[in-house]
Amino acid sequence: MATPALKLKHPGCAQSIVCDGNEAAAWAVALARPDVVAVYPITPQSSLVEYVSQFIADGKIEAELMNVEGEHSVLSALHGAALAGGRTYTATCGPGLAFMFEPYWRTPGMRLPIVASLVTRDGITPQCVWGGQQDAMTMKETGWIQIYCETVQEVLDTTVMAYRIAEHHDVMLPVNICHDGNYLSYGVTQVEVPEQSAVDDYLGEKNINWHVALDPLRPMAVDPLTGGAGGPGPAKFVAYRKGLCQGMQNALGVIEQAHADWADIFGRDYAPLVEEYRLDDADYALVTIGSMTGAAKDAVDSARERGRKVGLIKIKTFRPFPVAAMTRALRKVRAVGVVDRSVHYGWDCGPLYQEVLSCLYRAGQPIAAGSFIGGLAGADLTEGHFARAIERTAQLLAGDEFDSPVWLNEHD
Amino acid sequence: MTAYNTIAFDPSRCELCNDCDACITACAQVKSGSDDPLHSRIKIVAGFNGNPPELALCRQCGDPECVKSCPSTALTKNPDTGLIDWEKSLCVDCLLCTVGCSYGGITYNATLQHVAKCDLCDGDPACVKACPSGALSYITSASIFNEQHEREDLFVPGLSACQGCNSEMIMRHSLRKVGPDTVLATPPGCIPGMGSVGFNGTTGTKVPVFHPLLTNTASMLAGLKKQYNRMGRNVTAMALAGDGGAGDVGFQSLSGAAERNDQILFICVDNEGYMNTGMQASGSTSYGSWTTTTPVGSEMKGKRTSQKNLAMIMMNHNCEYVATASTAFVEDYYEKLDKALAASERGFAYLHIYSPCPTGWRFPSSQTIEVCRKGVETNFAPLWEYERGGDLHFTHPIDNPLPVEAYLNLSGKYRHVNEEQLACIQQQVNERVRTLKRYAGLN
Repeated sequence: MATPALKLKHPGCAQSIVCDGNEAAAWAVALARPDVVAVYPITPQSSLVEYVSQFIADGKIEAELMNVEGEHSVLSALHGAALAGGRTYTATCGPGLAFMFEPYWRTPGMRLPIVASLVTRDGITPQCVWGGQQDAMTMKETGWIQIYCETVQEVLDTTVMAYRIAEHHDVMLPVNICHDGNYLSYGVTQVEVPEQSAVDDYLGEKNINWHVALDPLRPMAVDPLTGGAGGPGPAKFVAYRKGLCQGMQNALGVIEQAHADWADIFGRDYAPLVEEYRLDDADYALVTIGSMTGAAKDAVDSARERGRKVGLIKIKTFRPFPVAAMTRALRKVRAVGVVDRSVHYGWDCGPLYQEVLSCLYRAGQPIAAGSFIGGLAGADLTEGHFARAIERTAQLLAGDEFDSPVWLNEHD
Repeated sequence: MTAYNTIAFDPSRCELCNDCDACITACAQVKSGSDDPLHSRIKIVAGFNGNPPELALCRQCGDPECVKSCPSTALTKNPDTGLIDWEKSLCVDCLLCTVGCSYGGITYNATLQHVAKCDLCDGDPACVKACPSGALSYITSASIFNEQHEREDLFVPGLSACQGCNSEMIMRHSLRKVGPDTVLATPPGCIPGMGSVGFNGTTGTKVPVFHPLLTNTASMLAGLKKQYNRMGRNVTAMALAGDGGAGDVGFQSLSGAAERNDQILFICVDNEGYMNTGMQASGSTSYGSWTTTTPVGSEMKGKRTSQKNLAMIMMNHNCEYVATASTAFVEDYYEKLDKALAASERGFAYLHIYSPCPTGWRFPSSQTIEVCRKGVETNFAPLWEYERGGDLHFTHPIDNPLPVEAYLNLSGKYRHVNEEQLACIQQQVNERVRTLKRYAGLN
């Protein structure tokens, strides 16, 4: 029996398929035509690198596949490949990301435009193989761009966009596309796969190592010792650091342009930095990140039906932090409840909450704000959890503030 | 420029004390038809005060004082053969040459009434053939110079290595041979520490050079090589790593790359510890060694565990080529470097170079090569090679090794070693050779 083709909704798309987020990311990798892919499996990322490996085995991706002995070498191999001019890809999470840390936090300083999916997983201990954003959030100060997806389609689209962003000459930084373990990695839905030729046009000619290379035709010493008191060291070191900070700031505009162009070609229009949902007439709002946002929007809709003037702010680009866009959104409300899928141990709150507080200070707007933490270790964040968060945020607005975070799954 | 030949002398093998005059008699016979030692152009002079005997013979010097002393051009350096030729018809018998030569290589023969000197018997010296103990040998000298001198030294002059540094010599020899179509990765350690990668915008290397992490040299080069293969470009991926970056914290990436047979030329310069950071112990530090983290005190007498034998571990990866080398045997090293370079085009090639460190091991900087040599001659550091699928092969077999004290006594890091530790080290040396011989199919 012939399977009827799934209907395509948008221009520039070749086919419509049903898949989970890990397979969607693999399709994006195929479309981006990397030169070198290095893999090491870890739950819940494993099926992603299995799909990529199978695509390479089938000739769907014409890349060098490196099956290396651990995440540390995964990223190290990609350093070498990128310095030789290769477009590169990998994926990891959780303990694998922790093991990768040494080459990981070096990557931005070398300005290598490596793209890596983080199929986010909670931190150990307690031992845990389920979703959570503790791994990615732990890495937020390393200089990688971090973009969090909400849907499986967004995983596919944003993973392709990541190459455009990373390789932009004003950016030249590694990009993590974060998609939630379990909920996006294994959540199955219909997605549209863009046309290869349209993606080729979108990404343009690659030039990975114009700025730093290990190439006998352009001999240079890469990363000699720099710094130390006296001599030219400190000034050089500062120049590199400032350059990295500038690249991060440049990325904000590049990310917006990458999304705008994507919308023009492929018809799917995502808020690149911060999405405002039913916010214009809202008195208060939830702030969300990642796949939890769908259930949170449902809860906002339900609350609206009950006459609550609540909206939602979703952050997509977390690093660099979109201060201006977030500040614009926060100025529209008088109380926020920030829902994190990870913990900021030092401040007894969620990390996104902490960043929202910084934005409020920048905005000169000391409104009531509260931290909610949920969805740890694969726990489901349902519409019911968000309904509670909305109610508690409404109480904030009424002056009932709280200091310690609300743990949404504490009594599940 | 061709290689020159000369006669080498090993006084430790000379039978002079047994009144052996075989070389002298043979020379006299060939040059005059008599046994009269007066006609011999080679003399063995007894050493005084227990010193070994010395050789009085023309060295066929590259910058000969006899030639410079000669007022009548009777003596000339032959550019084709390398010999110092003497032309009787031009000689004015002034004997200035005998004063100029420091080696007693040209002397006055009262019977003949003119000077006489060695002419190497047209390449088949009678003295060497006559020597019963192998103290004399006819060798080709300067072969490395002759083969390599036109290749560029790809490190800059003035690297800030310690005086007498073995690593610097290894680096310069190695990269000169491997050549400019190379990407060099050198993880933290003495090699970048002496400025090869550079400081604050300068560099000490004339090929692309990278300062990888201490932990990831092999995997980083593996990715680089994959990309060059993909682009169809032939670039040698070369590592110069210390024993810590290779065998301790860097071992996982090294092992992974060897298992995958990635096309890398990986050279481990083993100075048995973290010498760059102040002589701390590594997994390669030998048993009994003093280091700053295996100190000598009332409760501890240097390192309490044995070194890991990284070269044998690498051999067991069955990668393309594995060999050990020593700078006291540079010709042996060059042969291995040739093989390793060729092997790195097919897969993973690993060279393990014993690299005594004058600063960290506490020996005079003039003694580096002697420590290297004694390491080999005691079998502490045996020289061997292994090619994928074949047997281990000793490239400089030591049939009658010196006792290991001959090696240990040269370095201050073993100064405290007691009889018990010494016996243990000798036993380890014996066991290691026995194991290697098993791999070589020799027992």
